[in-house]
Amino acid sequence: MKIRPDIVQVYREVHSWVGILCSLFLFVAFYAGSISMFEQSLQVWLTPASSLPKPVELSDTPQLLQKVFAQYPDARTHYTIIVNPDNARPARLMWAQNPTYRGSGPQNYVLGALSPDGELHTLVSGPSGIPFFIDQLHEQIGLPLPHVAARYTMGCVAVSYFLALVSGVIIFFPSLKKMLFALRLGTATRKVWLDMHNLVGFFSLPFHFIMAATAVVFAFHGPIFALQGKLFQHGQLAARGLIQQHGHEKSRSENNTTQIVGQEGLMPPQAVLAELHKQAPGFIADTLEYTTQSGGGKSRTTLRIAGHDERYPTLGASNGFAVVDPANGRVLSADYLPGHQSAGFAALTAFIALHFGSYGGLPVRWGYYCLGLGGAFLFYTGSRLWIIARQKREQHAGKSSKQRRTTWLLSCLTTGGFTGCITGIAILFICAPFLPLGGTYNQAFFLYYTVFLLCMGLSFILRESQREPFLFRVAGYANIAIAPVMLVAMLGGRAVLPSLGVGMVALVLGCFLLRSVRRFTCGPSAADVSPIFSQKITGETKMG
Amino acid sequence: MTNRPLTNRQWLAKLVAAIVPGMMFSFGCMAVVGLLCHATGEARTVSSQFLMWLVVLVWLCVMGSCFLFRSGLCAWVVLGGAATVVWALFEILVKVTTA
Repeated sequence: MKIRPDIVQVYREVHSWVGILCSLFLFVAFYAGSISMFEQSLQVWLTPASSLPKPVELSDTPQLLQKVFAQYPDARTHYTIIVNPDNARPARLMWAQNPTYRGSGPQNYVLGALSPDGELHTLVSGPSGIPFFIDQLHEQIGLPLPHVAARYTMGCVAVSYFLALVSGVIIFFPSLKKMLFALRLGTATRKVWLDMHNLVGFFSLPFHFIMAATAVVFAFHGPIFALQGKLFQHGQLAARGLIQQHGHEKSRSENNTTQIVGQEGLMPPQAVLAELHKQAPGFIADTLEYTTQSGGGKSRTTLRIAGHDERYPTLGASNGFAVVDPANGRVLSADYLPGHQSAGFAALTAFIALHFGSYGGLPVRWGYYCLGLGGAFLFYTGSRLWIIARQKREQHAGKSSKQRRTTWLLSCLTTGGFTGCITGIAILFICAPFLPLGGTYNQAFFLYYTVFLLCMGLSFILRESQREPFLFRVAGYANIAIAPVMLVAMLGGRAVLPSLGVGMVALVLGCFLLRSVRRFTCGPSAADVSPIFSQKITGETKMG
Repeated sequence: MTNRPLTNRQWLAKLVAAIVPGMMFSFGCMAVVGLLCHATGEARTVSSQFLMWLVVLVWLCVMGSCFLFRSGLCAWVVLGGAATVVWALFEILVKVTTA
């Protein structure tokens, strides 16, 4: 199939402008996003062990609850029981310190434990804020804005990203057969970058389309649902009684929950879990969340059990959930219970799970990590292509001695931003073992943005020929430093063994960055054709 | 039809057409489809979540193809017309179903 050349030209322009305008945001989103694939594990590794007594057995939870409610009556309204306590959530029971909390970062919880002699111990604490900060960086595409503003900006960037993908496909399509596996490494810089960009882009295209569409949904679902509520309200009144089965199920379930009154009628957690296991074998519960609402002299307790099932995708980044009757352990709503959803909900969950990679367990997570880094690489090559093409055009136009200001500005912004993001996150991991409680959200915020702005500043100060080698070297060494720091922290009892894994991955990444720089500064020979950076220097020296 | 090659000279008008009437059009599609399958507008139901996806996908398709219009005016006429048609259809359907 042929596409008309003028259409290709139109989309080529769209692709390059949209690409250069959002590549920096997308780089941060993809780099941080690939790390946040492991948010939960990182939280467990980076949070130091707590000073609380060992969590009580699950079967002894009712005694713990009794003691806690006697001392903290407010905890009754909303509390969570942890099935498998770990470093990030080191107690059997936790409840929000301030239920009306609206600040930035995750809120602190009160953790409850019993000493061997049955005395109640509490501790106000939260897990390390660093993994959460990295996740926020991903959600807010690296912008330190209020959450709502950042979400809508993210939505706009996601729409542009979709445009870039569509236009990229249209440009590449006519030459697909000829160019797909062409990697002209010995030729001019621009061609090497272009071939890399096409290869990575083509093979991760479905992944990118999914990311773009789901990101738009995440950003704009609120207003769309609000509009639906307004539109169909009168229709709902008119068509009452005709509405699908789902509505009936919902009202039935609500009738059931109203029967439960007071805490005394609740089934012990272990029995609830045993009952749930009979109804949904294979579902592994992580937390039991009890919420009590009172009104009109009656109180109603609802129980939401979050957990996962290795065989099915989940709605959240790592969890699905079931709404369970707290009096007898019967499942009231299986809309988001993995493996027990209706076909419609299963399809909807699958769309979302494709964004989170919350299916297929660890191999899929690592796959997403690699695809995420591949995406970041795609945006880097894309912006390099734009800059090289601009420099070339300016050189032809006789402006070789003085780069046009916009090209210079974008060149500084992209290099500074990319290396600032990589270095900032590396510094967070370096500092994590030495900060109390594994670092709070605010500390992470301060550290990351200081490093990011420093790199950005350096990028504007340094000369064209020094900018990339220097900043990439900084990013590379910062990543390599994570491994020894983790080792030292582990010997000092400040880190656990799996955090060495973080160091190992960072070590590989750092070596890759440094290797690229080494080629960059050694001056490559004509026969040396492998790495991308060597090609770039030949290209740039040619350009003068 | 003239055979002038397509250009990006009126990109802003085309883009705004895809954003404003284009979005109205995708919301209109949601309204019509939602009405036909008796959506309740309750965010937790399957129907309303599928409708939400429908809006996003329709709008993204409009955004992706808006540069193919011959001119900005053309884009506004087509997308504005399409939006008017779906919303008029919605109004008629509301009248029919409530009558």
